[in-house]
Amino acid sequence: MKPILLQGHERSITQIKYNREGDLLFSVAKDPVANVWYSVNGERLGTYNGHTGAVWCVDVDWDTKHVLTGSADNSCRLWDCETGKQLALLETSSAVRTCGFDFSGNIIMFSTDKQMGYQCYLNFFDLRDPAQIEDNQPYVSVPCSESKITSAVWGPLGDFVIAGHENGEINQFSAKSGEILKTVKEHTKQINDIQSAVDLTMIITASKDCTAKLFDSTSLDHIKSFKTERPVNSAAISPIMDHVVMGGGQEAMEVTTTSTRIGKFEARFFHAAYEEEFGRVKGHFGPINCVAFHPDGKSYSSGGEDGYTRIHYFDPQYFDFELEA
Amino acid sequence: MPSIEFDDSKPSWADQVEEEGDEGALPSPKETIKGNIKTVTEYKIDEDGKKFKIVRTFKIETRKASKAVARRKNWKKFGNSEFDAPGPNVATTTVSDDVFMTFVSNKEDLNAQDQDEDPMNKLKGQKIVSCRICKGDHWTTRCPYKDTLGPMQKELAEQLGLSTGEKEKAAAEPEPAQQAPSKTGKYVPPSLRDGGTRRGESMQPNRRADDNATIRVTNLSEDTRETDLQELFRPFGSISRIYLAKDKNTGQSKGFAFISFHRREDAARAIAGVSGFGYDHLILNVEWAK
Repeated sequence: MKPILLQGHERSITQIKYNREGDLLFSVAKDPVANVWYSVNGERLGTYNGHTGAVWCVDVDWDTKHVLTGSADNSCRLWDCETGKQLALLETSSAVRTCGFDFSGNIIMFSTDKQMGYQCYLNFFDLRDPAQIEDNQPYVSVPCSESKITSAVWGPLGDFVIAGHENGEINQFSAKSGEILKTVKEHTKQINDIQSAVDLTMIITASKDCTAKLFDSTSLDHIKSFKTERPVNSAAISPIMDHVVMGGGQEAMEVTTTSTRIGKFEARFFHAAYEEEFGRVKGHFGPINCVAFHPDGKSYSSGGEDGYTRIHYFDPQYFDFELEA
Repeated sequence: MPSIEFDDSKPSWADQVEEEGDEGALPSPKETIKGNIKTVTEYKIDEDGKKFKIVRTFKIETRKASKAVARRKNWKKFGNSEFDAPGPNVATTTVSDDVFMTFVSNKEDLNAQDQDEDPMNKLKGQKIVSCRICKGDHWTTRCPYKDTLGPMQKELAEQLGLSTGEKEKAAAEPEPAQQAPSKTGKYVPPSLRDGGTRRGESMQPNRRADDNATIRVTNLSEDTRETDLQELFRPFGSISRIYLAKDKNTGQSKGFAFISFHRREDAARAIAGVSGFGYDHLILNVEWAK
């Protein structure tokens, strides 16, 4: 396969996300500009200009009308997807680490970092109520004093948010009251990424403890574990196959000190049921920070510390391949 | 669609004459569309005055998309891409080199690979040194029995009328015999190595069994797909591989295919069963692959 290389960022990629149909791909990086691309040919549709710091997270709503970004410039911004105009600016006291639309596109959540003497907060806004946006008053704001939230996604039906913490804990926060519904701790280190399956029944977590784990999103039952020998930065579940893709590598700060080991920056494919690795794809010059499957399962993208996003359309061999059990 | 658009209208003959007058005798660019293949031929003169003919081949794909997606295709570009022309901008979008998914067949392969990276792992659990006194896994000077066993051996040797030097040699002698089976250490000629008697086995192609059970199918129709062949040949036995020759550009079959069965008997039955079989208005020809 010939990957399409997207060079829209000057610094390392922090998150990439497809919209629901998969025709658009959003990418954000540690530079202030968020990009949106046509996934079919890699053409850049536009950029969302306005942030003044690294952008940590991006999300797009169900009908691709609005885009939400959270940044280290202590703000979370809402954009019009089509024109790139800024619709709302929500200022916070510390960097915004994760953000997301619920399935209806009406309620947004974002979490802030524990930083500069401020606590980590998980905030919920209802976009149908303009007063909340104008006054910058969330209808629910949950303080997380123990360990900060490092990744979060909405659960099924918009009832709760599943959040991964710096200490490896996974919590379900109710979107109505903000109380903690369930807690599990299967990881021993920071959770770098959480992504849900296409039907929202399962989530996959990627952790610094060198594993990715599959959980039931409602009961938070631990289903499967995928082990590697390096920290996992991101993991995604294939919508059509029983496959999982994982991206990782040494931490960026350690790359220069462990230079003799090259070629450790592959995307790795695991069989979801057998927990066994069956394939690898090379390409990035640095650790992979995020991976995402196209909603049709026929391509996937990865964003790396090297600042590139690569769209890979699978070869027919990938679909024919069967793991020998 | 934001894909490369082209102008169907032909330039008027007057423009053409003008252009030709400007650039000397350069033929005008040509565009031909044949099926789903578009060929663009351009001519160019570089600084040295050399003429170039540039032929580019495109594959035109029509994709069906939902209404919402199709509408989004017509969105205007904005932000930093506001002034980009339709189609991918080479400043932000490039096609990189071919990469392939490397398939890992089993876990052992992986572990072996990981161990290779650390040469010290290999040495673990292997005897590197051998004590002359007690044959233990340490240097002679560090031997715990140095003070007790050492003098005793010396005495013994003297009693037998041998010099200590010879004694040492005698003690050392059995070593090669011991070492020989271990993988590292002294050079062992290939003929004496483990399995040296199994001659030339490794040189024979692995796929031999496979090749033996491979058949060639010719006179296939252009529309044949791998799945069709699978359906056709599966009843004869389990298939290990299907290769259908296809045109690189059009993806159409070239009319022949190779099918490898796991067992030769199955292949033989397939030949007997399908040869001369009418398939898609053509009569198939099936024989052993050479």
